[in-house]
Amino acid sequence: MRAPGDGHGTTAGEVLLAVEGVSLSFGGVKAITDVSFDIRKGEIRAIIGPNGAGKTSMLNVINGFYHPQQGRIAFKGETRKRMRPYVAASQGIARTFQNVALFKGMSTIDNIMAGRTLKMKTGFFWQCLRHGPALNEEIEHRKFVEEIIDFLEIQAIRKMPVGKLPYGLQKRVELGRALAMQPDLLLLDEPMAGMNLEEKEDMSRFIIDVNNQYGTTIALIEHDMGVVMDLSDRVVVLEYGRKIADGTPAEVSADQKVIDAYLGVPH
Amino acid sequence: MDILYKVLIDPFVQMGAAPDLLVQTVWEGLVSGVLYALIALGFVLIFKASGVFNFAQGIMVVFAGLTLVGFHEMGVPAILAVILTLGVMFLLAVSVERVVLRPLVNQPDIILFMATFGITYLLIGFGELIFGGNPKRMIAEELYLPTGSIEFQTLGGFVQLQKIDIAAAVIAAIMIAALAFFFQTTRIGRALRAVADSHKAALSVGISLNQIWVIVWFTAGIVALVTGIMWGARSDVSFALQVIALKALPVLILGGFTSVPGAIVGGLIIGIGEKIGEFYWGPLVGGGIESWLAYFIALGFLLFRPQGLFGEKIIERI
Repeated sequence: MRAPGDGHGTTAGEVLLAVEGVSLSFGGVKAITDVSFDIRKGEIRAIIGPNGAGKTSMLNVINGFYHPQQGRIAFKGETRKRMRPYVAASQGIARTFQNVALFKGMSTIDNIMAGRTLKMKTGFFWQCLRHGPALNEEIEHRKFVEEIIDFLEIQAIRKMPVGKLPYGLQKRVELGRALAMQPDLLLLDEPMAGMNLEEKEDMSRFIIDVNNQYGTTIALIEHDMGVVMDLSDRVVVLEYGRKIADGTPAEVSADQKVIDAYLGVPH
Repeated sequence: MDILYKVLIDPFVQMGAAPDLLVQTVWEGLVSGVLYALIALGFVLIFKASGVFNFAQGIMVVFAGLTLVGFHEMGVPAILAVILTLGVMFLLAVSVERVVLRPLVNQPDIILFMATFGITYLLIGFGELIFGGNPKRMIAEELYLPTGSIEFQTLGGFVQLQKIDIAAAVIAAIMIAALAFFFQTTRIGRALRAVADSHKAALSVGISLNQIWVIVWFTAGIVALVTGIMWGARSDVSFALQVIALKALPVLILGGFTSVPGAIVGGLIIGIGEKIGEFYWGPLVGGGIESWLAYFIALGFLLFRPQGLFGEKIIERI
């Protein structure tokens, strides 16, 4: 594995996504207060913090599930207005969920094919006949899906309904579905939660390979500090909805506020 | 002992004694079963994709039938009238999505359910305003549906099959097969199944819920039109039909709310069970059990197998 924060020379890339002064509240509960940070092209950006710090809320804001009351978000230099998740998807943002959200009744292939939805263009008419352009398109996308299946080493389970798969494999299929979208920005919400050491190492390898081979920018939330320090180029730390630190893994792990947040401060 | 004999043994003796009557009864049950299955199919489509129990499916059947007949009465040729009616059902799907579903997104299911009550009574009022309250004759001949019956001698008697019933069964089978094929193998079909499984995951891969809802309600509208034509051809098109549509409830409890094959098998079981029950056991209680037997069977299922024959058993992980 790479040394922490070596950044393979991409940390200086242009800003892909900028979050500026975002605040989000649910009724009286403030989930996020005035948080700003950016994600640069080609990097692996980690968002960490204790439970309830607002990490998943942050991801949901980036993804368009939540609408912040204040602040603005610019993706590819374009400030976005109130937007819906499927618009975020069409702009090139893919994600996985903390508690795997797959289409449980469908096979691995169909789940990953669902990730190709936006790339498939033939009209309703041909779709109904499943002939001509629609069939060609189906075959072409199926090829791409097979590549992802090879990449994630899940050939053996391609026809199985995903509801029956063990958790670690479900997480992998979910990653596959997100990759099928060929995203510019990939959001991973605790990709290694509930995994054993071996599964974690596999997943780390996939994340690094995705980043290296496809140049996909990745933002991930993770609790395992070892993993975060190994994988990420830069880390943003949240606590109680506020940003308390931002920098390379080495910088944030030396930051007194971060240490206090994780270990507690004597009163 | 006498009553036990009448309930447990005598009906089967009768079945054995006159097999031609049994075949005739089963056939009639099968035909009404197909129509129940069609209505239930409309319910399942919408329930799967949006989690809404669409109380309005019954009135959609009536409304589609009346619109078709109404266009024809205005002098539109039959085939063109079908196309225009499909257009009306599409407009209905779009307006339901815009006016009802979109503003109510993320509301509890019961609210959406109540909203479909609203749609039901709106359509009843609207339909009566335009088409009047009188039953209308379905334009079966104009749509080239066969009339009359075929009879054949078998099992020591005559069995009579109405041609329209055979046509109904065939058309229903073709439509269900086409829907299954569409759902299984196309991008839109896959998107529909994806939405049925998980809204948030579907959104994250770029599927627009609004678009899917329009497609689903339109598909349910097409199913409603076919049901309206078939059912109308056997009797009339009238608002009374929507009460019969409530028979889809026991069908769904039997088959499972989320299963298309369940809707079909459930419909057939209820249809056949009803007719056989009425014919062989009905006289014991003075007849009329056809109207409640379906609900009775459904009650039994609720007690012992609440997810239905094909529904998903919901196991909550704690």
